Amino acid sequence: MIAELINPYYLQVASFMLINIILGISVYITLSTGQLSLANAGFMGIGAYTSALLTIHFELPIVVGIIAGALVAAICGILIGIPTLRLQGVYLAIVTLGFGEVIRVVFVNWETLTNGSVGISGIPHIGREILSTLQGFGFNPSMLGLQNNQFIFLSIFTLLLLVTIFIIWFFRRQHSSRVGRAFAAIKLDEKAAESMGINITYYKVLAFAQGALVAGFAGAMYAHILAYISPADFAYHRAVEILIFVVFGGSEVIWGPVFGAFFLTLMPEVLRFISEYRYMIYGLIIIIMMAVRPQGLIDVNMLNWFKRKRVKGGHKHGAGNQKGM
Amino acid sequence: MKGMFKKLVGVTAFSSLLFLSACGGNSEQAGGDSEGASDGKVKADVGVVSFITGSGAAYGEAIKGGLELAKEEINEKGDVELNLIFEDSAGKQDQALTAAQKLINSDNVTAIIGPTLSTEMNVVGPEADLSGVPIIGTSTTAEGIPQIGDYVFRNSIPEALAIPASMEKAIEKYDAKKVALIYGNDDVFTKSGFDTMKATAEKMGLEILTTETFQKGQSDYNAQLTKIKSYKPDLILASALYNEGAVIMDQARKMGIDVPFVGGNGFNSPEVIKIAGDSSDGLIVATPWYGEKEDPKVQGFVKKFKEKYGNDPDQFAAQAYDALYILADAIKNAGEADRDKVRDALAETKDFEGILGNFSFDEEGDVIMDPTVLVIEDGEFVVFE
Amino acid sequence: MLIEQLINGITLGSIYAIVALGFTLVFGVLGIINMAHGEIFMFGAFIGVMITSSLKAPLWVAFAGAIVITAIMGYMLERFALRPLRHKQGVSHLAPLISTIGVSILLENLSHHLFGAGNHPFRASFAEINFQIGSITVYLVQIVIFVISIILMLTLSFWLGKTKAGKALRATAENLETASLLGVDTKRTITMTVIIASAMGGIAGILVGMAFNSVTPQMGLSMGLKGLAIIILGGMGSVRGAMAGGLILGLAETFIVVYGDSGYRDAIAFLAIIIILLIRPQGLFGQKIST
Repeated sequence: MIAELINPYYLQVASFMLINIILGISVYITLSTGQLSLANAGFMGIGAYTSALLTIHFELPIVVGIIAGALVAAICGILIGIPTLRLQGVYLAIVTLGFGEVIRVVFVNWETLTNGSVGISGIPHIGREILSTLQGFGFNPSMLGLQNNQFIFLSIFTLLLLVTIFIIWFFRRQHSSRVGRAFAAIKLDEKAAESMGINITYYKVLAFAQGALVAGFAGAMYAHILAYISPADFAYHRAVEILIFVVFGGSEVIWGPVFGAFFLTLMPEVLRFISEYRYMIYGLIIIIMMAVRPQGLIDVNMLNWFKRKRVKGGHKHGAGNQKGM
Repeated sequence: MKGMFKKLVGVTAFSSLLFLSACGGNSEQAGGDSEGASDGKVKADVGVVSFITGSGAAYGEAIKGGLELAKEEINEKGDVELNLIFEDSAGKQDQALTAAQKLINSDNVTAIIGPTLSTEMNVVGPEADLSGVPIIGTSTTAEGIPQIGDYVFRNSIPEALAIPASMEKAIEKYDAKKVALIYGNDDVFTKSGFDTMKATAEKMGLEILTTETFQKGQSDYNAQLTKIKSYKPDLILASALYNEGAVIMDQARKMGIDVPFVGGNGFNSPEVIKIAGDSSDGLIVATPWYGEKEDPKVQGFVKKFKEKYGNDPDQFAAQAYDALYILADAIKNAGEADRDKVRDALAETKDFEGILGNFSFDEEGDVIMDPTVLVIEDGEFVVFE
Repeated sequence: MLIEQLINGITLGSIYAIVALGFTLVFGVLGIINMAHGEIFMFGAFIGVMITSSLKAPLWVAFAGAIVITAIMGYMLERFALRPLRHKQGVSHLAPLISTIGVSILLENLSHHLFGAGNHPFRASFAEINFQIGSITVYLVQIVIFVISIILMLTLSFWLGKTKAGKALRATAENLETASLLGVDTKRTITMTVIIASAMGGIAGILVGMAFNSVTPQMGLSMGLKGLAIIILGGMGSVRGAMAGGLILGLAETFIVVYGDSGYRDAIAFLAIIIILLIRPQGLFGQKIST
């Protein structure tokens, strides 16, 4: 029954959508302290390459590779985060943009390790690996009435869905915790936050590293789903694409990037005839959003409206961060 | 807050349901809607994954042009009736994979032509192979493409065949001993071409004076060329796509470098002459495609292509054109639009006479044919002897 | 070879400098990094190609055409992507940066549709004129580029420092509200700035087209990112800094090819800004940044 309904194409789109959601969240986390990081495509690349190389050369299990990939990206995030903290707003954005480009150039040139622009192929595929592991236990997809490739994509989708739900849950918890309030205070006014005794260095690096960790994780997943990566996957355009998810969906609440990635990944698939104009539409979306609704489609007020609860105090966007969620 | 969360889960579940129901109707694997029709014609849907938008759109357009032309002719003949479904990959692996998934699972195509780049094929090939859909690359020239699996073929001549052919002839004629290399190191196509060039040069015992690189979007090659000039090479091996390669030749000639250039597959296009003008004289390439060949088939194609699109066909168009003919031939021989049968028929393709010349697949699905070595003289490609 | 490489480096550096001047002007007055500048530059180059090769018009028409069109683009950029963000409550300082990224994506992809993805040669007999000095070939275009970059820098310095319009510009840069109270038409000043900066991008575009005989839709991004690096290197908003930074980057990129590995050429610009921001965040010629 269900077997006939499962189409790998849709699962594939849904899986990329989830990866994009995770990437969008990674930018959102860093932005929640008011820092714009354009290096997340680079962190994604670090995660992808680390995991791919570890699983290929040392034959580590994929899980270990993915965790290592995310951690290495986070460490790079800390290393780049500490010295750049002195920089504000646009300076930080440009440096992170530059950092992302430098990473790509290193991937291209460090041929003995990364195979250069030819890229790494034959990366263990997470779905096929799950299947073969389960087959080792005597399981066969046909028991569920599924074909092999249906099962493979179903397992990838399920896994990603669980992880995405966990990430959303975690950062929503964090948002209403001490850490989240500190982030919001720093975003609102760094100096005031500092005078209130918030260790802004610590929290800014924390936000940066968390963003890198999540981006690195998404990158590692990406590597094990496509089974092939090359430096061109992690270039400037990727960084901008991730940024668009956040700008379009909204950067105030976590549902913003989630919705942005969901909608913008789905749109070109549903309307494939517009795919030729996709990037022009992206450009227009950014311009219009910035002019009309710079906080993104989904903001605190909208969520409150959704909840149909009366909001105490007439706080505007930005100011609502602490209580919004 | 919990309410919000539930809503999200709800939305996700709902949208996944939407996906699933949208595809409920047609999930049979073997092209159920395209079986042989009653009038003896075999009808088949052929999916095309191509680089239609973005930086490589020029290749995608040429490929699309070649395929459309071939389709019209094939359908006119009437043995098979093909329907082409184009999907854009924008040159990106993930989009190529998604496009291929759509073609394989939603459109139930009998076979796929494309994708344009070898990087994309590295991702799409294994998936098509796993799903049992024959796939033919028309411009994927990197190492190891047909070796991905039994269902993966190509009719594009690999660099490993083309580059040594042109290098051998050029070195013999000019008695070259010292060479300089220049290549684009951030592009998989030019990088793998370079690897072949380097290996061939080493095998032939040539002295490599220097190896220079350039990157996408660069328009100033003067620094690299000045360096190359100072070494006084007998020959320059350039692994570049024609867009960059033509500019490199132009700047080299302006600087006073007048030695011949040997280029890879991507360097081979009439556009080189258009961009670089007189400066393109002395470019040597091996090509499966030679538009001046005195073969009525070739001339007919060139004429029709020019009438339809206004410009001369390049190898991308020609290879795509032949690929569809090869596929149509296989579908005809298979007798029905069944993926497995078409694959078997494809594998048996032998001595196919197309516009590229005599063509066969080897047991791995790779190309067996002799490339023609060409040189640009007085602004025209002529056979190099 | 060294002299030839020096000439190569200076030519490239002069082009970078002209691009960077456009960036620095907008940043100096508006405090905004105009990420779309590279694409406007690219459009200037394409307009030049279209006019010279399709219309067969002389070179000065190409220059005039490119200046007019890029100036109009500058106006549109200001009108639709920047002005709506000014004086708006709750807009983060990152909004204009993001908005101009949007413009750059739009323009890059628009150019694919308008001009095609391929490379367009720039045919101008002017670009062929050259002198032979010993074994070195020097092209007139190379000299022209260098001279134009110097002239632009001097004019800009003079204009900003000595003329009334320039003073209004600097006053606007200093403090928008105060300048407005003092009777400066800030709206007009800002619009003029963006228009002039864009027109300079257009000029740079044609010069590159002539010097390298190559115009592609991708050139905007690479040039834009380099220009960005240069103004950080030279100091945001500093005219001299843009010039010096441009020359330094041009020479550095040339000499890494001569003595190092050309594969890392694209990384120099960004390594340089990462280092400079860590050591001397205000840039080589910049004023100390007050945060």
